[in-house]
Amino acid sequence: MKVIEVEAAGAPPRRTPRDELAETTPHGDIYLDRLIRRQLRLALLALAAFGGLVGSLPLLFLLFPSLEGLHLLGIPAPVLVLALPIFPGIVAIGLLYQRRADALDDAFRDLVSDDA
Amino acid sequence: MIVAGAVLAVMLGAFGVGVWGVRLARTTSDLYVASRAVSSWWNAAAISGEYLSAASFLGIAGLEMKLGASVLWLPVGFAAGYLALLFFVAAPLRRFGSYTIPDFAEARLSSPRVRIVAAGVVLTIGGFYLVPQLKGAGLTLGSVAGTPYWVGVVAVGAVVALTVALGGMRGVTYVQAYQYWVKTFGIALPACLLLIYVGGLPERSALFGRELPRAPEGGLVVKLDSPQRVEFPEAARFTVDGRPERASAGEERTLSGRVVLPAGATVPVSEGTEAQRGGDWSRPVERSGPASPVFVYSLLLATFLGTMGLPHILVRFYTNPDGRAARSTTVRVLGLLGIFYLFPAVYGALGRALTPELYVKGATDAVVLELPKAAWPGLGGEILAALTAAGAFAAFMSTASGLLVSISGTLSHDVRRSSPADPPALRMGRFRRAALAGMVVPATLALFARGLDISVLVGWAFALAASTFCPLFLLGIWWRGLTARGAMAGMATGGTLASIGIFTTLVAGPVDGTLGALLAQPAAVSVPCAFVAMIGASVTDPERPRNTEATMLALHAPEGLGLEGLRSRA
Repeated sequence: MKVIEVEAAGAPPRRTPRDELAETTPHGDIYLDRLIRRQLRLALLALAAFGGLVGSLPLLFLLFPSLEGLHLLGIPAPVLVLALPIFPGIVAIGLLYQRRADALDDAFRDLVSDDA
Repeated sequence: MIVAGAVLAVMLGAFGVGVWGVRLARTTSDLYVASRAVSSWWNAAAISGEYLSAASFLGIAGLEMKLGASVLWLPVGFAAGYLALLFFVAAPLRRFGSYTIPDFAEARLSSPRVRIVAAGVVLTIGGFYLVPQLKGAGLTLGSVAGTPYWVGVVAVGAVVALTVALGGMRGVTYVQAYQYWVKTFGIALPACLLLIYVGGLPERSALFGRELPRAPEGGLVVKLDSPQRVEFPEAARFTVDGRPERASAGEERTLSGRVVLPAGATVPVSEGTEAQRGGDWSRPVERSGPASPVFVYSLLLATFLGTMGLPHILVRFYTNPDGRAARSTTVRVLGLLGIFYLFPAVYGALGRALTPELYVKGATDAVVLELPKAAWPGLGGEILAALTAAGAFAAFMSTASGLLVSISGTLSHDVRRSSPADPPALRMGRFRRAALAGMVVPATLALFARGLDISVLVGWAFALAASTFCPLFLLGIWWRGLTARGAMAGMATGGTLASIGIFTTLVAGPVDGTLGALLAQPAAVSVPCAFVAMIGASVTDPERPRNTEATMLALHAPEGLGLEGLRSRA
């Protein structure tokens, strides 16, 4: 309360980045751009993780046909890999991404609503 | 009888849950998007329930039995599609707060013409996805209850249209969540019990070794009601209606009547199916043919990027309260789908060993329905067959009603522009009429499209969605430079290329080699072309959409900053 009174008495009220965003000023745009770029970088990173994990499998199976001879639980390794562990892997990537993306949003919220 | 009872129970259950949901559907917002106040778990189960269609419930196992383990890329792509949705679309689109895809297109690009183009694509994808659901219903009801084909089409069409017209989205949300669990129990419980009952995977040499599928001990009896063209991969003796016959290796014959193969004889395969030895059948990728790397990657691309463009899936993300909830819903969907997709593969593999007569009939699509009775004769098998039939019906009904919601939403909201000033009763009436009208055309098509392949139509819907809406979303959400002209050019390019590929295959039959793989599964070409066209036409477009800054803010700014109301300015 005190701070506001002092400011109101002296200089015009301080503008937060939130205000800049709300009025879509060029200044606010810089903040928004940074958020978009960070979120996009995270999304592309997660995409690369998925691509590395699953996207490489067809090539892997093709280049190493000897994997077929490897039987686990009586099932050839390529079939077993395709049928079982991929799905938990996909969920794990999703969970990791969700945590990071929410954290980026939180950091942005803190940044732009910071009155100091 | 048990089977018919289970199917009826599922249909009545869905209707009951729908009617229960109606009590909550009071406003237009309820009808379209369940007032955006459905919890993450309900939403996730509803999205999964809506997504798991005939292609997932029957198609994966059937294709696996027919073509081999290469089909298992399909569920991987189906599930991974939600990763793409999570990374690029879920939270921004929810924050933007549009009702439908055409709504998004118009608001982002400030162009009513884009809205019309997008609405056209929604209706095309939705319609073509609806036809195979109804077709599956007609065939399944015929096989479990002996009714004529049209009965299943009309019954499921009517129940779905009524449920949607009465309950709208909110009613449907609970119905879909219910259907997810019906489907998951319907596929998982029989799969586990059958694996235990038959003691793991039988006849491994035919599954993974050098053997072709053979008639079991005691011989194999196949009743062919209509003449069936088959090929004998090896020389065989057999009887037709009691008359002894013999066929040499590679011989093609037309059989009908009661065909009996003695124990150990190799099973002939219907026209269009390739007899495969275990090792070939279980190979997920091959250098050429229907499991060539080009085909596999193109298929993964279509399903990975196509999911976000399915209109009935996206509309469901608007029922999340905020962007964060949209993300957590999507992760839960990944988990729920991951559970479901563990099981179809079991049916394909067991079917190869235990129901080889489906190869003769060319009816591998029915393996999920037929396997329980064949593997476990008696009451146990009957009950499990009832479970899978109930699950299959849940699959047709849930996907069909989700599609119908988006079709009628598009018809009543986008094609015929409704304004917020219209009284709610008028808009609800429009939605309800659109729901009834939106079912008529696909149901009529389904009655005449009995001969069309389910997987072709579903594959086309995915390829089309990946080639049109996927670039629209990715560029519209993440790139300020997208313009209306660019969006239309990209959607036209992608949609045309995808359609040319699929229809060429449909009309001319499969083509060999890399070109054939790209025609049958055009996403690897059509998606990049759509992106290039969209970017190219945007960069050269002198006309920019209004207020891109405010739009980007509405898409990306997290909640809790008091910035939500800004889209009205965009």
